[in-house]
Amino acid sequence: MSRLRIVGGTVHDPANGVDGEVRDVCIDAGRIVAEVPSGTPTLDARGMIVMPGGVDIHSHVASSACNHARRLLVEEHSANPVAAPALEAGIAPARSGTGGTLPTTFTTGYRYAGLGYTTVFDAAVAPITARHTHAEFDDTPIVDGGFYILLGNDEYLLRQVDAGERDRARDYAAWMLEATGGYAIKIVNPGGVQAWKSGQRNLTAIDETLGSSRVTPRAILETLADAANTLRLPHPVHIHCNNLGQPGNVSTTLATMDALAGRRAHFTHLQFHCYGSGAEGKTGGWSSAAKQVIERVNGDPHVSVDVGQVMFGPATTLSADGPAQYLLQASSGRKWTNIDVELETGCGIIPYRYEERAAVSALQWAVGLELFLLAADPWRVVLSTDSPNGGSFEAYPALIQLLMDRAARDEQLKRVNQRLLAGSALTDGLSREYTLNEIAIITRAGPARLLGLRHKGHLGVGAEADVTVYTREDDRARMFSLPRYVIKGGVLVVEEGQLRRAPAGRRLRLAPGHDETVVTDLRRFYDAYGTVAFDNFPVRGLRDAPLELG
Amino acid sequence: MPAPGRGGASRPSQVGHVTCLGCGCACDDIALTIAAGRITAAERACPLGVAWFGDGRVPDQVQVDGKPAELERALDRAAAVLGEARGSALVMLGAELTVSAYGTALALADALGAATDSVVSEPAAAGILAGQRRGRATATLGEIRNRADLVVYWAVDPDQRYPRYRSRYAGAPPALHLADGAHPRTVVSVSVGSDAGPADADLKVALTPAQELAALAELRAGLLGRHLGGEALPSGVAELAGRLTQAKYVAIVHDGEPSAERRTPERAEALIALTQALNTPTRAALSTLRAGGNRNGAEAVSTWQTGFPFAVDFSRGAPRYQPHRRAGTPEASAPSAVLVVGAVESLPDPLRSSLQRVPAVVIGPRASAAPFPAKVAIDTGVAGIHEAGIGYRMDDLPLPLQAPLPGPRSAEAVVRDLMGRLASASRAAR
Repeated sequence: MSRLRIVGGTVHDPANGVDGEVRDVCIDAGRIVAEVPSGTPTLDARGMIVMPGGVDIHSHVASSACNHARRLLVEEHSANPVAAPALEAGIAPARSGTGGTLPTTFTTGYRYAGLGYTTVFDAAVAPITARHTHAEFDDTPIVDGGFYILLGNDEYLLRQVDAGERDRARDYAAWMLEATGGYAIKIVNPGGVQAWKSGQRNLTAIDETLGSSRVTPRAILETLADAANTLRLPHPVHIHCNNLGQPGNVSTTLATMDALAGRRAHFTHLQFHCYGSGAEGKTGGWSSAAKQVIERVNGDPHVSVDVGQVMFGPATTLSADGPAQYLLQASSGRKWTNIDVELETGCGIIPYRYEERAAVSALQWAVGLELFLLAADPWRVVLSTDSPNGGSFEAYPALIQLLMDRAARDEQLKRVNQRLLAGSALTDGLSREYTLNEIAIITRAGPARLLGLRHKGHLGVGAEADVTVYTREDDRARMFSLPRYVIKGGVLVVEEGQLRRAPAGRRLRLAPGHDETVVTDLRRFYDAYGTVAFDNFPVRGLRDAPLELG
Repeated sequence: MPAPGRGGASRPSQVGHVTCLGCGCACDDIALTIAAGRITAAERACPLGVAWFGDGRVPDQVQVDGKPAELERALDRAAAVLGEARGSALVMLGAELTVSAYGTALALADALGAATDSVVSEPAAAGILAGQRRGRATATLGEIRNRADLVVYWAVDPDQRYPRYRSRYAGAPPALHLADGAHPRTVVSVSVGSDAGPADADLKVALTPAQELAALAELRAGLLGRHLGGEALPSGVAELAGRLTQAKYVAIVHDGEPSAERRTPERAEALIALTQALNTPTRAALSTLRAGGNRNGAEAVSTWQTGFPFAVDFSRGAPRYQPHRRAGTPEASAPSAVLVVGAVESLPDPLRSSLQRVPAVVIGPRASAAPFPAKVAIDTGVAGIHEAGIGYRMDDLPLPLQAPLPGPRSAEAVVRDLMGRLASASRAAR
């Protein structure tokens, strides 16, 4: 189907200032066009809601770490067999799989599309494993995929930071993006993972030095933020701060934001970084510091965030933040995988569960909602659960309901453990309810803009024809769980609520260009300390060309 | 036989940075010399690697009922054999194929509603299952090379079956986080019965198989400041306990594959538990030695496609894990037909024996030399010699595989073609 007219839907296209207008959307050759000839096939969307396809700015779907987690989640997979969908006969056979918090690759593609999401970024890929990520994305149908490369604990970069070689660090980052086929720079617990591997265990303040070097989290953050901005990467550094999940970590989070003041920066799964150290007058406990942090975000147009909402139920914590995961296994006693990845980063995996009756889980749930509900600019506050860390991406519809429906939210608030919620703005009665337009911003238009994807997240002429059509329902969770139609690149993939087609997605990657002298130095480093031949490091033969910068 | 290689008939040529799948070390620094369509030298390869590359020539035949046949006819016959076995076939992933070939074979198994398995050895399977119960603390091999100041070889001397493990991943400096000098790390050999550690170790501990679990429990208890008592253990165990906590980064190396001594299946879990516990007083990683042929690659793709690393049954329309009903064992259902995708010589003995009695289709390197009467045998190239793609090292790092020689048809293409025929036949039947 190369041409299509979506007729009479109520369109929410906030990037183009369209807020609930009844209009047609025309598609030709995979793009949105102004008009199509008469006789073009139509899709009746009268009474329905039309939005661009969803864009997930932060998920874990296709990585070596994900696969180590899948291997660990044997009980979850055994309990969730998923039959192959009944696709229209085509070249690629429909595949069965297993679900749970980290579904198999084909199931992941089907389920994202089934929620109306058409673009997904994996937020944490160790560069040396990028080849694996591409292979997983090759088996993840429908969605366009990209990934962020983990820098900030890698030996070569830390040497450049120590030596004050910021230009070389920038060229190294550029080379890494091109060599791996990555899209953005991800920083996880800057310096802390290296400390975990070296016996220092962790870095817990942004001016703490790594061993006897001059390397601090602040220096790493500044170096990489400047690199991303100088290289004019479409997405700024994507930052997972030090001290994830620790009570009192709000001071680290605010200090990190202050350190990068004036620079573009994206702070990810912010919810996990907004904890005070106890209610007023008490120490050593937990409390919400969401208000403090979101006020800081509201006042700084250079800062964007995704929330990393916790949803009650099963989750899998999966992170390059080895020291944070060590602490979680020590406190939870759950099974735990730790993988130290040579010269680059770490990886920790723990199956987890957030419970309404558990005080810390309830606090985390409330903190995430506070961030959403106190956010002044939805264009800079993106919906995420850090899937599967705060819960699966399949919980997005339930999260949307919490944001759009105060009564549903208050009902759940009554059920959760209240012990740590004193002082939470949520308990003071936040009355805000997100509008459909705001939902369209935080799930597609906003993340597309923050990622610099000019042809995604909107329905203007020239945009990629990724469109989701929802049946209007008062039950927002149900409405967003079951799109009536999903169109990806002009192909009708979900029809009458059923997944019918599963075309291959594209790979979104960059090749920003670098000074070649860094390659000589890098080769020398890898020849001395690496175990993979330097010439074998770059991923070659990728299917899709890099996106153009600028 | 395959056509002449890149070097042509007369002038030898060199291909660098070739990955060897002779064992799980997957050394990717091999330089091959190719002349007249043959590999004439494999620089830097160990004896295992030299043997694995050989001269690079493999059979190139297509057979039906043991007789030469056209590929088209062979594929039609294969589709007929497997089509009759829908819901009760076995798809067996052998060694020496690329990840994409394994993925395609799993797609075919999914479409057929077949059971699948791969050549994960019994001890390796026990290790994977232990990791699924407990998790694990591990590292990629370069981390061991650059950090481990104490390396404990538990019932294995890698020089025997993983000849370059020590020199590439746990050998002499340069290492980023170890002092330069002749002796930057301490080596401990723990022998268990006839499974001996390296002879040149700084500390040697000899255990009987009966003492092994008690020793591991004692080491772990020692980390908690406790002494279990019980069975008398060699004094080296106490010394080892002290060294473990004094080290900055401990690597415990054990063999995932079968060895001379029939080991207790609990060994893998006890080693995992010890290594995890060591991460409180210090840092530690367990390194599991695995055989070559891209076994880890088959497990990786099976995991991302099905959620399980091996022994996956699609007969109920979705993956089910059957690790205790391995192919060829008495616990497994008898298949009505078998498709082998991969090198036949890698199949476990019980399965090979059973293939004397079951209609079999074999697609893979040296398929025509299968030691059982295959209905259809289609020779393909070997991953990393004739087929490019991805291969996995024993630590699950993905590496590029080159195709320095032209070879027979690609296994992935043949399986894809077969899948298309099965799909057409299925549609026609509806």
